Amino acid sequence: MKELLEDYALNKSLKSKTGNIKAGLVGCGSMGQEIAILISKSGIDLTIIEVSEEKVANSLKQIGLQIDQVISHWGMTTGDKRAILSRITATTDFNELADCNVVIEAINTKKWVPNQPMRKAVFKKIEEVVCEDCIIISNASTVVISDLSGGLKNPCRAIGVHFISPALNSKIIEINRCRNTSKETLEFVRRFVKMIGKETINVYGSPGNISTRLIVPMINEACELLMEGVSTVDQIDKTMKFGYGMQRGPFTMADSIGLDKLTKWMEGLYNEYGDTKYKSSPLIRRMVRAGMLGKKSGEGFYLYKDDRKIEKTGSIFRLGQR
Amino acid sequence: MKILVINCGSSSIKYQLFDMKDESVLAKGIVEKIGLNGSFIKNERDDGDKIKLEGNIYDHNQGIEYVLGILISEKHGSIKKLEEIDAVGHRVVHGGEKFNSSVSITKEVVAKMEEVVELAPLHNPPNLKGIAAITNLIPNVPQAGVFDTAFHQSMKPESYMYAIPYSLYTEHGIRRYGFHGSSHRFVSDRVAELMNKDISKLKIITCHLGNGASIAAIKNGVSIDTSMGLTPVEGLMMGTRCGDLDIGALTYIMNKEDIGLNATNTLINKHSGVLGISGVSSDMRDVEDAANDGNERAQLALRMYEYRIKKYIGSYAAAMGGVDVIVFTGGIGENASDTRANVMNGFEFLGADFDFEKNDGLRAEEVEISKEDSKVKVWIVPTNEELVIARDTLEIVS
Repeated sequence: MKELLEDYALNKSLKSKTGNIKAGLVGCGSMGQEIAILISKSGIDLTIIEVSEEKVANSLKQIGLQIDQVISHWGMTTGDKRAILSRITATTDFNELADCNVVIEAINTKKWVPNQPMRKAVFKKIEEVVCEDCIIISNASTVVISDLSGGLKNPCRAIGVHFISPALNSKIIEINRCRNTSKETLEFVRRFVKMIGKETINVYGSPGNISTRLIVPMINEACELLMEGVSTVDQIDKTMKFGYGMQRGPFTMADSIGLDKLTKWMEGLYNEYGDTKYKSSPLIRRMVRAGMLGKKSGEGFYLYKDDRKIEKTGSIFRLGQR
Repeated sequence: MKILVINCGSSSIKYQLFDMKDESVLAKGIVEKIGLNGSFIKNERDDGDKIKLEGNIYDHNQGIEYVLGILISEKHGSIKKLEEIDAVGHRVVHGGEKFNSSVSITKEVVAKMEEVVELAPLHNPPNLKGIAAITNLIPNVPQAGVFDTAFHQSMKPESYMYAIPYSLYTEHGIRRYGFHGSSHRFVSDRVAELMNKDISKLKIITCHLGNGASIAAIKNGVSIDTSMGLTPVEGLMMGTRCGDLDIGALTYIMNKEDIGLNATNTLINKHSGVLGISGVSSDMRDVEDAANDGNERAQLALRMYEYRIKKYIGSYAAAMGGVDVIVFTGGIGENASDTRANVMNGFEFLGADFDFEKNDGLRAEEVEISKEDSKVKVWIVPTNEELVIARDTLEIVS
């Protein structure tokens, strides 16, 4: 008979449960993949849910490719990759979330829609399979968490946690609690954020948190400058990068967020606050229609070739000629 | 008297139970993958009984609890009850400037250790967790801390200071500390004993060549210089660490590769050294095999590895005004006869007449490998850091 490690516990064992966290992730697009790597890198087992077998396979493939990218920039080793992938399982079956202590919703919605029915449905579906004290998190940055948790039997367990891309490098995570969020949920999530090596930024019930509310008007204003012909994409980026010590200028940032995603943020914030500073710039809307979504489509405010950014000359005028 | 020696890493615990009557090892083992998937404990008793137990081990406290459980178990145990453990000795990586010798662990000492955590953020916290676990599980057993850095605290400012603004030393403690202190101390003491000489009259260069590697200049029994610095990255080329590197090159790399602090740390600690140059492995045996098969980068990695050691030996001989004995230890130093031969080749000018024939194929034994009439003696002395910790612990608690 195989001997059990537990047989060797001393009687006065404290049976510490710290660290015994299993996480779930519903939706594994590019941001979901970053979250998956971040969580499993911290030694936490993770179950990913996707909508089809094809997407399951693609998510795992993309996670591997994202890690390869980090390795090629010296940030990890192949040993790290093996360890990370060994902690991840991916499936289409929500029941696999049953033993998770925390489940993160990170689904991709095509458009911003009021009341977020899709996210609400996912929240409910998660609650149906998980245990009583499992925490349910939304990564959506511009939703009202109390709206999402409204359909839950136990809304106290819901909380917003905003992972900022690139999730591996970003030092902070915004925790957005709403009036229903319980103290236990908040404490758990703070511990969880610490476990994955980040610092908590506390936000209280504000759609758009701090980061999205500040970045959106800046990108909009940068578009205004461009449309007025005040300066070029590159010069505006350089001004903010070197003038104000930002890691990336507004256009580089917009390209890496993805202009389609940015538009959803803008619509969400405009809908919530009604302030035109959040209303998406006509330039961004035109670019989205033209399929210029930023880094992911290979073209946005810059051109992208072999993972390198190339400055476009007179892109704003070229857009007019299309 | 029975002493348990514990060495806590970030996700592992190595342990040995000594009977100090004859310094024999009653049991030894390792706890692996703490807080990760697939954790397990391997225990080996002196009579050859071996056991591997798998299960969830969430933290160091639980890991040590299971170790104690195994040590007193009927089936695989070495002792009958926990009370038989008279003391516990911990390996602590960084003692900063606060500790120049091993100490008895008290609340005040733990507080001081916490103050130097910043200097070794990866290593000291698990060491402290080990101390907390023992305090929690067997509170009445005395504990001692043996620091990797303590032996090198005898270095003088001219060898431990970096030539950077002095305020960085006073404000942040930026200076060279050195590591592998227990190993350098053990093999230097031992070689003097084996040679039947008084260590206080010897100039010894000890080469600790393992996956991490450092070299020390020990004059009259005290360390006057060592190759590792504020962190274990400085000095010799290692399995995956770069060793000495132009800081200008590093900032240039950061700019060219557009990488931040984390990736830079991984680059110099995990992607560099023998692995980085050879592209084969960080394991010297694999690299030697590849080199023998004609892999030019593997050959280059070996030549660089050996050349760096040679340079340090030369400079330490100069620093001490000569050298009486050179000691090889650590996994590579004890076993890689080719590495030893290539390092020692050309030291005749110093008075070292190396016995290449005798050296060939020698592995892990206490033996002299220089010719009988060699002015400078060369030895292999297998290291035993755990025994140093056990001896220090015994001295402190008795």
